[in-house]
Amino acid sequence: MTEAIYNAPSLRIITFQGRQRLVTCLVSLLFFPGFLRADDLFNSEQELAHKIAAITGPGAVALTIENQSSLTPREVDSVSSGLRATLESLSVHIVAAERAAATVSVTLSENPQFYVWTAAIKVGTDTSATLTSTRRPERAGMKSDAFPMTLRKTPLWEQTDRILDVKVLQEKPAPFEIAVLDSEAVTFYMQHGSQWAMEQKLLIFHTRPWPRDLRGRLLVARDRTLDVYLPGVRCETKKQTLLTLDCRNSDDPWPIGDVSDATSPQSAFYTAKRNFFTGDVTPHIGKFATVPKFYSAVAMPRTGYVLWLFSGTDGLLHLVDGLSDQPRKQGWGSDIAVIRSACGSGWLLLATVDSATVSNFVRAYDLPDREPIAVSPPLEFEGAVTALWPASDGQSAMVVTLDRETGKYEAYRLQVVCSQ
Amino acid sequence: MRLIVCKWFVASSLLFSLATAQTRPQYGGTLRVATSAAFTSLDPADRTQVDSFARNSVTALIFDTLIRLDSSGRPQPSLAISWGGSRDSKRWNLRIRSGLVFHDGSAVTPEAVAASLRLVNQAWNVLAELDSVTIQSDSPVPTMPAMLALPGNAIVKRGSGQSVSGTGPFRVSDWQPGKMLTLAANEDCWRGRPYLDTIEVNLGMPARDEVAAIDTERSTLIQLPGEMAKRMSGHTAVSSPAIELVAIIFARDPQGQDEMTRRDALALSLDRASIHNVLLQGAGDAQSSILPDWMTGYGALFPSQADLPRAKRLMQQVASSPAWTLKYDPADTLLRLLAERIALNAKDAGLVITPVTVGPFDARLVRVVLPVADAWVDLAWISEIAGTPISPATEMSVEQLYAAEQRVLAAKRIIPLLHLPAVYAATKSLRGWSAGATGTWQIADAWQEPSVP
Repeated sequence: MTEAIYNAPSLRIITFQGRQRLVTCLVSLLFFPGFLRADDLFNSEQELAHKIAAITGPGAVALTIENQSSLTPREVDSVSSGLRATLESLSVHIVAAERAAATVSVTLSENPQFYVWTAAIKVGTDTSATLTSTRRPERAGMKSDAFPMTLRKTPLWEQTDRILDVKVLQEKPAPFEIAVLDSEAVTFYMQHGSQWAMEQKLLIFHTRPWPRDLRGRLLVARDRTLDVYLPGVRCETKKQTLLTLDCRNSDDPWPIGDVSDATSPQSAFYTAKRNFFTGDVTPHIGKFATVPKFYSAVAMPRTGYVLWLFSGTDGLLHLVDGLSDQPRKQGWGSDIAVIRSACGSGWLLLATVDSATVSNFVRAYDLPDREPIAVSPPLEFEGAVTALWPASDGQSAMVVTLDRETGKYEAYRLQVVCSQ
Repeated sequence: MRLIVCKWFVASSLLFSLATAQTRPQYGGTLRVATSAAFTSLDPADRTQVDSFARNSVTALIFDTLIRLDSSGRPQPSLAISWGGSRDSKRWNLRIRSGLVFHDGSAVTPEAVAASLRLVNQAWNVLAELDSVTIQSDSPVPTMPAMLALPGNAIVKRGSGQSVSGTGPFRVSDWQPGKMLTLAANEDCWRGRPYLDTIEVNLGMPARDEVAAIDTERSTLIQLPGEMAKRMSGHTAVSSPAIELVAIIFARDPQGQDEMTRRDALALSLDRASIHNVLLQGAGDAQSSILPDWMTGYGALFPSQADLPRAKRLMQQVASSPAWTLKYDPADTLLRLLAERIALNAKDAGLVITPVTVGPFDARLVRVVLPVADAWVDLAWISEIAGTPISPATEMSVEQLYAAEQRVLAAKRIIPLLHLPAVYAATKSLRGWSAGATGTWQIADAWQEPSVP
């Protein structure tokens, strides 16, 4: 009995040894450096050509190729010329339809897991068909990004499990060590060359099921240990001989606002079975012991006081200055964060922006008074924003998105560039 | 020029199209669903019920399977956290997630899981062990993970009478068979409490009334005939991939060469393009394959164009052509129109087909909902319905799948006509829902956006 989760169906792929394969692969890789599937496509090309030749025999055929798959035009061109060349090498000569003894209609298609190439062959009045398939590759890794815009996103990490938060632990000058929080573990990764390698994985112990829209925070304490806040659970790393993670059921309030400023720690209670803060804050914010239930909060320092902004579960943005609660309809999403910046008034508000499209945007706002003013173009993400937290340095934020195409969660560091 | 598209991406993107939003999900509220389906049993194992998207959707809300398939058809853990099969695929072991409870408060034990599976799969020997179940079969079952994702294999605790209990995100609050089902949030769901408090499913509602119900906000979500999707202004309409097969299924094997030839002639006479463009107004895919092209990728090898001259030539080869009766469900408007069109097409080729709704029949015009996003399991499912069960594959390649489908078609018991998507419309305040790859409405993660004052 095997312990593996599931043995995926295996494919019968005929491999061909020899100089021709080597040359074709090298040529493919030389001219198409991003063409990582050259070898697989080459094998399918060869297999289909041999199957066609076995049906038509040597002679003149008319060949049409139609692409109904996600192969790029360049890949289709490569497959097309490879197929033609292999057929020619098998004495199947491609000619115009009026001079052909047979017609071959090749369709490059696909299903969720395989590229499927079919050939419908007509020799006189006889029709026959053949096909070949090869497993589709997983989508290539995260694209690098360099947005020449006010907001710049830097990809940090991607994985299939929902990412709740990511902290950069070391930089030199690019992120060198990170900690990734997901529903089951805090995992440490370190750069080795251009690759991230896992250093340690600390499992999270919890007895209750997580809420559906799971959220969590990973905070770096002053003694460089990590604090983990999850619904109904609190964990801390402990450095003994080895780094360990101690977790317990807890309704301790979560730090909110700019946690890098430890002189004015503000906390709020989070519901263990939901996805929002209860509204109970500690210490009080001026006269308020309770504010409306909210998803996220930011503190904007003002002369003599702190203006708190709460993204309420009622869809309103609540501006709380300690004396009053001014709700306003802002049209933002649920997640907001604040970062320090040399641009504008020194504090910038980041908010997810509602959009009619399925794409998601984050935009920077200045708040000179009570009226947010957009100061950056919206920065688009390919997937839905599932988390937006300020980073430990207070000068950047962490955005997590769900990529619709791959089903993977992607974590980005978001920074403000003042050049514009 | 034909657009070059990634067909699966188009299909799968639909699954996510409404699942994205910047606003976090909100808890509370009641979702009202209206459907024309009128099932009278909630037990997924009850094969007397007509399969429908609505029934499969409700099953997924109340129950869980051991394994689920993701949008690409890959097995993923559900109530089972890991599994493995023997080399000959005759023995499978599945570890059961710990700490699970049924809606009635009783624990989900390996014994309870085994009892649930035994009832549905009497050819299997299902053994309960310490924290796992083992399934043994006399013949290889390489598709076991996908088979365990079938709605019929959902894990059910059966009580007295018709009472059933599951582990899904909603529990049954009130049940009036064939009329109304009320579901309440399962506060202790192992996947987290759902956002909605209540779901009310109004069963047996005609399509026209469904549209009126959503227009007047008496319903939040409705299922639509595909051709009506474009007319749903003011609401959000979503299609699944084409996942419902419409086919002619003959009542018996062909009796001799003449009947095989006549069945070939009927298949060649069908003007699928006209049916697709006129009757369905472009909805779905007119294909002559059993499995939809997006699932296999080899649909191009099944010509869907009518070939009337060849059909006529074939008919000249047969000695006589007795009239056939084609039975359809009279409550299904689309099937009635299709049956009439098939009779016309057949007449052009020299065949006589009489559509009937009662009495004996030579063939049936049916809709078959493909139960899971797994081509092998779906082919086995349909071939069994068609009376030509296929033997288990030794090698689950696309090539073998194509060969198996060819064998089913060669038996001449089934003539595929087209594949239809499931189409739904919802009010714009409903967020986080989608149409799954199997056409079900996926509302376990749905929530309602409150109106901002």
